[in-house]
Amino acid sequence: CVAQYRNHGYTPNDADLAQIVVGKDTKDTVRNAIGVPQSEGLLADSAWYYVRSQFKHLGAYAPKEVDRQVLAISFDTSGRVSNVERYGLEDGQVVTLSRRVTVSNVQGTTFLKQLFGNLGQVSAEQLLQ
Amino acid sequence: CSEYAPERDLEGYTAEEIYKRAEYEITTKDFDSAAQYFAEIGRLYPYSSWSKRALIMEAFAYHRGSDYEQARLAAQRFIDFYPADDDTAYAHYLLALSYYDQIDDVGRDQGLTFQALQALRVVIEQFPDTEYARSSVLKFDLAFDHLAAKEMEIGRYYLKRKHYSAAVNRFRVVVEQFQTTQHTAEALHRLVESYLALGLTEEAQSAGAILGHNYQSTEWYKDSYALLTGRGLEAKSLGDNWLSAVYRQMVRGEWL
Amino acid sequence: QEFQFSTVEIQGNGRVSTESILNFAGIGRNQGVSGGELNDAYQRVLASGLFESVEFIPQGSKLLIKVTEFPTVSRISIEGNSKVNDDVLSSVLQTQVRRAYAPSTAEQDAAAMAEIYASKGQLAATVTPRIIRRNDNRVDVVFEVTEGKNVEVERLTFVGNRQYSNARLRRVLETKQAGLLRFLVGRDTFAEDRVNFDKQVLTDFYTSRGFIDFEVLNVAAEFSRERDAYFLTFNIREGQKFSFGEMTTVSEIDGLDTADFQKEINIRSGQTYSPVAVENAIERIEILATKKGIDFLRVEPRVTRNDRERSLDISFALVRGPRVFVERIDIEGNATTLDRVVRRQFKTVEGDPFNPREIREAASRIRALGFFSDARVDARAGSGPEKVIVDVDLEETSTGSFSFGVNYSVSSGANLIASFSESNFLGRGQRLAFNLTTKLDDGNLSFNFVEPAFLGRDVAFGLSANYGFSAPIYADHESRDIFVSPSLTFPVAENARLRLNYKVGTNLLRNPDDNDLPATIQADVDAGEVFEQSLGYTYSYDTRRSGVNPNAGVKFEFSQDIAGFGSDVEYLRTTATVQGDTTLFNEEVNLSASIKGGMIEGRGGMDTRVSNRFFTGTSLIRGFEPGGIGPRDLDDTELALGGKFYAVASLETDFPLGLPEEYGIKGGLFLDHGALWGLDDASSAGGSEDISWRTVVGASVFLKTPIGPLRFNFTKALNKEDYDVEQNFDLTIATQF
Repeated sequence: CVAQYRNHGYTPNDADLAQIVVGKDTKDTVRNAIGVPQSEGLLADSAWYYVRSQFKHLGAYAPKEVDRQVLAISFDTSGRVSNVERYGLEDGQVVTLSRRVTVSNVQGTTFLKQLFGNLGQVSAEQLLQ
Repeated sequence: CSEYAPERDLEGYTAEEIYKRAEYEITTKDFDSAAQYFAEIGRLYPYSSWSKRALIMEAFAYHRGSDYEQARLAAQRFIDFYPADDDTAYAHYLLALSYYDQIDDVGRDQGLTFQALQALRVVIEQFPDTEYARSSVLKFDLAFDHLAAKEMEIGRYYLKRKHYSAAVNRFRVVVEQFQTTQHTAEALHRLVESYLALGLTEEAQSAGAILGHNYQSTEWYKDSYALLTGRGLEAKSLGDNWLSAVYRQMVRGEWL
Repeated sequence: QEFQFSTVEIQGNGRVSTESILNFAGIGRNQGVSGGELNDAYQRVLASGLFESVEFIPQGSKLLIKVTEFPTVSRISIEGNSKVNDDVLSSVLQTQVRRAYAPSTAEQDAAAMAEIYASKGQLAATVTPRIIRRNDNRVDVVFEVTEGKNVEVERLTFVGNRQYSNARLRRVLETKQAGLLRFLVGRDTFAEDRVNFDKQVLTDFYTSRGFIDFEVLNVAAEFSRERDAYFLTFNIREGQKFSFGEMTTVSEIDGLDTADFQKEINIRSGQTYSPVAVENAIERIEILATKKGIDFLRVEPRVTRNDRERSLDISFALVRGPRVFVERIDIEGNATTLDRVVRRQFKTVEGDPFNPREIREAASRIRALGFFSDARVDARAGSGPEKVIVDVDLEETSTGSFSFGVNYSVSSGANLIASFSESNFLGRGQRLAFNLTTKLDDGNLSFNFVEPAFLGRDVAFGLSANYGFSAPIYADHESRDIFVSPSLTFPVAENARLRLNYKVGTNLLRNPDDNDLPATIQADVDAGEVFEQSLGYTYSYDTRRSGVNPNAGVKFEFSQDIAGFGSDVEYLRTTATVQGDTTLFNEEVNLSASIKGGMIEGRGGMDTRVSNRFFTGTSLIRGFEPGGIGPRDLDDTELALGGKFYAVASLETDFPLGLPEEYGIKGGLFLDHGALWGLDDASSAGGSEDISWRTVVGASVFLKTPIGPLRFNFTKALNKEDYDVEQNFDLTIATQF
């Protein structure tokens, strides 16, 4: 089989990144140079993150993440760029997700409700064997 | 069943007789024809004191008959005609209920939830001291929780498929805009999972710290603590083998 | 001046309560009120729309408010309308029963109703509202309608058309002349907006054939003397026909070589210019860009026109588009369908660059699910200038059928059927179907389940099981099949999918009425119940749906099933299909050619059983009864024995019959040329052993009906064996319509 590759997310290319100078650029100049961050941290002054990953889709296997670039731009208290770091796929931990779910109070449609919802509908396939 | 119950022309009956007949219909649980009788009163005797009573009862009947669309129309008509009546609070409440009762499982339509929230907020703010306000507050929280559950479900969808930054954004929405709901603890744990998977350990620790600070006693904190201290989650005794995954996801429709 | 009121008195209100009027007025007790505020209060009470007239009369410290309420509407009726029924007319009504009656709204209703008549070509229709006073300040509202004569369009003529004849242009336009089925069709009446639509259709027709300077100068409409028909004359200027000159690609993004993109442009210079070709070229370039992982690429075609050679040189400029991201994908309206079933149709993930083409493809995948009567996917501004939110508004339709009843089919007579099928089981996108059919000659219970996203992946898990008797009409024996068959289908390349399946079960051939059977079939019956187990795969490559060229494509399918590994029956069965589809005359005519072949060979020295051999049904070659051709026991029983090999070539086309589309009728022609032959040892059967080709020509009529597209086939066999059993008429479900 032939594997197909799909790219997700976005990290700026090196040319744009070179314009950012540690200690001088603020959030606005960073946004103009390389665009809006993909996601941020929880706290107000947390870093900006740009994530780009490539997935390999091969036959019946689950899509596998084969390449990931994480660009972290952290800011100091005065809002100036304090550090620019790069992480790759190898820095990420393999995390087993917990299956538990906070159950919400609303129940879904039941089989019988759906069954009798269709009573009487006829489709062409049934009539003509 | 006839679409328009009272075929015989009711011109001859007084408003009170029709009202009694409509109330009888309610006791026999035939809500649709009860609503139509109440409507007849409004048509034949618009100026009698009965027509005001009949209009609110019409909305009530439609709502009990779970014909929510009609219930909303009737309630709205009552609010337009009698904006300052003591039943107006009940009319607003009926309006909110007819949205709220249509909210279905979390995986589904959230358009209705927004409308329910808005209608409930009207009841809570304009009629604060009525008993409708108290039960509206309860329903408001449940609807609000339903919205948070929807964000969580989409977050888990992306988390399972390893799209961590998309998952982080969804869980951040829950933590920032839905703090009062029961989902915040899980959202924080999912953030710990996502940040660790991305290799951003300080962010994971800060999320874990918030979780520890506010939700120390929850299962979620135990899971996060295990992840952050590097021991990782032990596979559950139920067995996490391939076949049980197929059963859970295909037959029971669970997410993982 | 300044007022101060200690008491307010209201006169003339019946239905509207005093508190409500005070509420509208909003004047507090003993509160200083200026002249302006008093006027605002007056305006507010009037604006409530409940009162015919309102008067504010200040009397010292008392304010007297006099109101006369609008009467309430007791009943609404519409009289005098025959061509348009009441529901259509009352749908535009603002006046409502039990609400206040306002003359202005009644006038608006009358105008809205006249508008409905005008859009249906009844320009002479008039509507006047009238009220009947009732007791207790109530009124009945009556809308009196007088309908004028219907206006038909009689003749369409064109001035200035040299390249294409009047008849050709008439066919292009939608406004039908008053044709033979006039009373049926409501479309050929004269309507302003449809003529503008026709102008657009004409312009598209010409520009797609290279006439880029085409223009409709004006449209003249004359009324016939009897005022029942219009003569439409389109005055057009065609201009010159242009063809493609030189195609180049230039890149404004540094470090991007244009060689691969240049190869994607499949326009030959000299080819007639058409905007569709340019659009296709842009599409191919964008698809290549996404494959190469280049984000935010936009293609700008820059056209230079040289009038002397009447050719257009196009340079495709690769430009970096704006950096826009998908912030969120919000799905609404999915009442029973789970969010993930819709979300997994998107290849775009939240946070990805915004690629309009991917969103459009996802939208068509969502519609292809068949769960929604309407699925609108559009992007709106997000929380920032560089962010977009994709909104998916869905309207669910019924996705299941659950019926008892009797159905009739040409080949096997009347059957009792009980069937349940749900293509969106519990909203999870799973397909589940039970079928119980008790035909005259056999009963059948079948179960079918498909999970399209097994474990959340792009893998379809299928499980089907069957317990059933069947005695096809061409056989005198009965066969009972019990089997279970799981399968997995997954993509293996761009447009290719592989299906692995395992089938295990038993087959029993019986001769209950002790008919006289041919020797080979009698041997199979004597073998009693046999255990059958097989492994198989099907490789299918299909570019018709997702290929770059939307209206042409190739389908290739190759499948093999190996029975053995401890099964009583051992064989190798191979089938293959190659099919090419294309459309001609800009997607009006469909043309498809296909070649099908199949062979089955016993393994381990075993002969093939009649239940495994091929019997031709109408799905293979048309014009014959099922089992109508192929090896036959000619000596005494004349029964079909089935063949080990078959090969069929067929050519098929369907085309509009010139009738307006509303009838939903299309015609078609087809030619089937094939044969079914081969037995293990021909001697014992006396059937013919060598290959003899049958050729059949046929015509078909396609009809769209509420329960699905039907197809009527009329066939004539050109050459066949004298012992074949023909079938000249067949009614089936038209799959490709």
